[in-house]
Amino acid sequence: MAAAVQLRLCGVFLIFLFCLVGLCQSLFSRGDAYKRQLSVELNPGSRPALTDGDLLHVRAVGNNDTLHFLFCSLGAPTLLLVHTSSSNSTVTVDWLQFLARNTSGTLKVEPESSILYSTAVVFSRLWEYNDVNDTAHPTSELFPPYELQNFTWSHLNLSGSSALLCGVAATFVNGTLCFQLSVFASEGRGQSLPHLLHSANSSQLSWWLDGVLPQATRSRFLLELQAVGGAYPLSRVDVHRSIDDEFTPSIFKVSQWVSSMNGSSEVLGFVQWKPVAYRQSNPALENATPCRHTEPQRQSGEAVAAASGLIRAFYSEPQTFGLNMSFGLAGDPFYNSTKFLGWTMLVGVGSPPVDSFSPMVLAIMAVGLGTPMILLLVGGLWVCIRKMTVDSTIAYEPIN
Amino acid sequence: MAGSEERQGLLGDEDDRSLGGGQTAKGPGRPMLAICDPSHLLHRMVVLVLMCFLGFGSYFCYDNPAALQTELLQDLNLNTARFMQLYAWYSWPNVVLCFFGGFLIDRVFGIRVGTIIFSLFVCVGQIIFAAGALVNHFWLMEFGRFIFGIGGESLAVAQNTYAVSWFKGKALNLVFGLQLSMARVGSTVNMNVMGWVYSKVADLVGSPGHTTLGVSLMIASVTCFFSLICALVLGFLDKRAEKILSKEQGKTGEVIKLTDVKDFPFPLWLIFIVCVGYYVAIFPFIGLGQVFFIEKFNFSPAEARAVNSIVYIISAPASPVLGFLVDKTGRNVIWVIIAVITTLAAHMMLAFTFWNPWIAMSLLGVSYSLLACALWPMVAFVVPEHQLGTAYGFMQSIQNLGLALISMAAGAILDSRGYLVLEVFFCICICIALMALIVLYFVDYLRGGDLNLSPSARARLQKVATSDAE
Repeated sequence: MAAAVQLRLCGVFLIFLFCLVGLCQSLFSRGDAYKRQLSVELNPGSRPALTDGDLLHVRAVGNNDTLHFLFCSLGAPTLLLVHTSSSNSTVTVDWLQFLARNTSGTLKVEPESSILYSTAVVFSRLWEYNDVNDTAHPTSELFPPYELQNFTWSHLNLSGSSALLCGVAATFVNGTLCFQLSVFASEGRGQSLPHLLHSANSSQLSWWLDGVLPQATRSRFLLELQAVGGAYPLSRVDVHRSIDDEFTPSIFKVSQWVSSMNGSSEVLGFVQWKPVAYRQSNPALENATPCRHTEPQRQSGEAVAAASGLIRAFYSEPQTFGLNMSFGLAGDPFYNSTKFLGWTMLVGVGSPPVDSFSPMVLAIMAVGLGTPMILLLVGGLWVCIRKMTVDSTIAYEPIN
Repeated sequence: MAGSEERQGLLGDEDDRSLGGGQTAKGPGRPMLAICDPSHLLHRMVVLVLMCFLGFGSYFCYDNPAALQTELLQDLNLNTARFMQLYAWYSWPNVVLCFFGGFLIDRVFGIRVGTIIFSLFVCVGQIIFAAGALVNHFWLMEFGRFIFGIGGESLAVAQNTYAVSWFKGKALNLVFGLQLSMARVGSTVNMNVMGWVYSKVADLVGSPGHTTLGVSLMIASVTCFFSLICALVLGFLDKRAEKILSKEQGKTGEVIKLTDVKDFPFPLWLIFIVCVGYYVAIFPFIGLGQVFFIEKFNFSPAEARAVNSIVYIISAPASPVLGFLVDKTGRNVIWVIIAVITTLAAHMMLAFTFWNPWIAMSLLGVSYSLLACALWPMVAFVVPEHQLGTAYGFMQSIQNLGLALISMAAGAILDSRGYLVLEVFFCICICIALMALIVLYFVDYLRGGDLNLSPSARARLQKVATSDAE
């Protein structure tokens, strides 16, 4: 008896499961089908043979717009995004002037009238401090900063639509500081932690410090970021809480450094990150270390233009906000324990991508909650039917 | 068959007498006699106290390593992984051992001798553990924990079996509640006392070190001896009660065979599923909870520890109260369903909302206590008495197996998929328990079982059985 019931219940359960999985797939698999055509060009135009500073240009052509990603190691590493309303806009570089780094307008996106929005991120300095009391508050024990514009940068190493840039400071004993830029044709998710969700409108920029000897055994690091824009620079950081840490285990926050037009909530461009860095080259939960940012503050545009060749070349009046990312909290292991520190962020235009539950989570929850309900219904019905039949037989019993 | 009928008759008879006894106990008449009369409420109270303290030693010493974690790590130069071995050596063998423990109680030793033997194992294990610290040999400490583990879990099985044999039909749920409460009190006292004991011993010895640690652990073993004494007295009282009430238990009628396990009634298997599905969503979660509260709810480490331990803190006072409630209302299946649904709600709150986790964790604490005092007594209703030890042993064994496997799985899920998926996983475990419960409810309903009857209906049923037997 019981076995038969079990069998029937199993059958019902399986059918239900298949229906549900099918439903979920049809609901969620449509995704964001928006795609861009990528074309990668290193040092566009006819560049004189000079040693330092590469310029990478990735053209991402959409249906009726183009995104220009420009990544440059002339001076401090800089990523510039230019969004144009035309699918034929081009980048032209006046190389001699560009390399001289003293006038603006040497890098142009044409036609100029098609430019909708532009934003740039400059990695200007790396700070190191001796956290003697393990407070993770850089107050007094700051060492002189590493100026990234004075690093010796290698040539850009391209593979597909991503580029690797490594450099060393004159004072580094060992190790390197590297940046990796990835530009995407369509929506997707980073392959390694923190598995940031990206769209065709954003690029991912990772940064890591590998094997560099710290100046103290209790050293921690800060990274100084400058966001440069024309009319609407990135000016405020919003921290969103999320219940979903599915893709970045144990991280329930996402920070977005966004531009805001006066009074409007519309976001034109963003830098997005999760407040977590990793202390190993293979990021995992056990080597995660939290990071914090300071509030963005207005900086001198001239200083940034002096540090970065790309900013000098593109912006005539750069509006700049800067913030510091600090890695590690009180009690976390110091940099010296692994001699590695890596962090990833997204830079893009439009609204930042928003994580949502994976279909798997929704499907599992639906099955998990639905099955007991169905069991209850089926069981209830079955009992009712049995009761009715038993009642009808009992009705005759008194005669016996 | 005649034997078991006779036993039922005796049980019913005893029940009637005890009711009478309960009334006279309030009168000023004959208190000395009441305390000696095995059928009297007062006497059973004494037995209940002994039963509770029977487990005290093992619960106290089980968490000795946690209470002295920093001291252990320093004095013996351990890392956390090796420290965790002390718990692994306790829990892994118990995946099979307490099944055999329960079987041995039923088949070979009988409950009295079995309890004394397991108490002895606990004592000897704790002494070896302490001696290992004293001479600074870690392998000896591990061996001590292993011996301790052989006794510890099987002792819990014996405790459950004792509880059923004395209290079935009379406040059994309350007794299970009290035992859970005692377990919690034991480990809480340990957590708060051992550090103090260690510092006092350090003063006496002169400096902290492995000697101090060994002496502290030796002092802790006093609780095990205390429990051993409880086992001896309990054995004596049980023997005496058997003589006075002439209840021949475990020796007459059927004897359990190992193969009886496969013929366990269907509802018992469902109870096992509920037990595993439920507990794997509680203990591994609490083990991983602290970081979750820090990361998701921005709690400070101290706050996170506090909210994480609220489940156990609530269960100490709540479980006897809830046990009493279940006794008065009966309908165990409904109570367990309520407990499981509440737990599911609490887990979903933690997974899908930012509501203050104190709410969810308090709910979890209450439902955990409710489940413990309503679920475990159900076993006594579905298996005959001569299989009880084996059934409880088996239940404990698969619970241990489930916990061991799910703890590892939980760690892996957390590393790769994060807390949300982990919480979803725990929700699914609870949903499986809920499914088993719903099936149990209908099976019991259709078979006319007495799992879900009110106390009055149960009493009526027992009366009918008694009159049938007569």
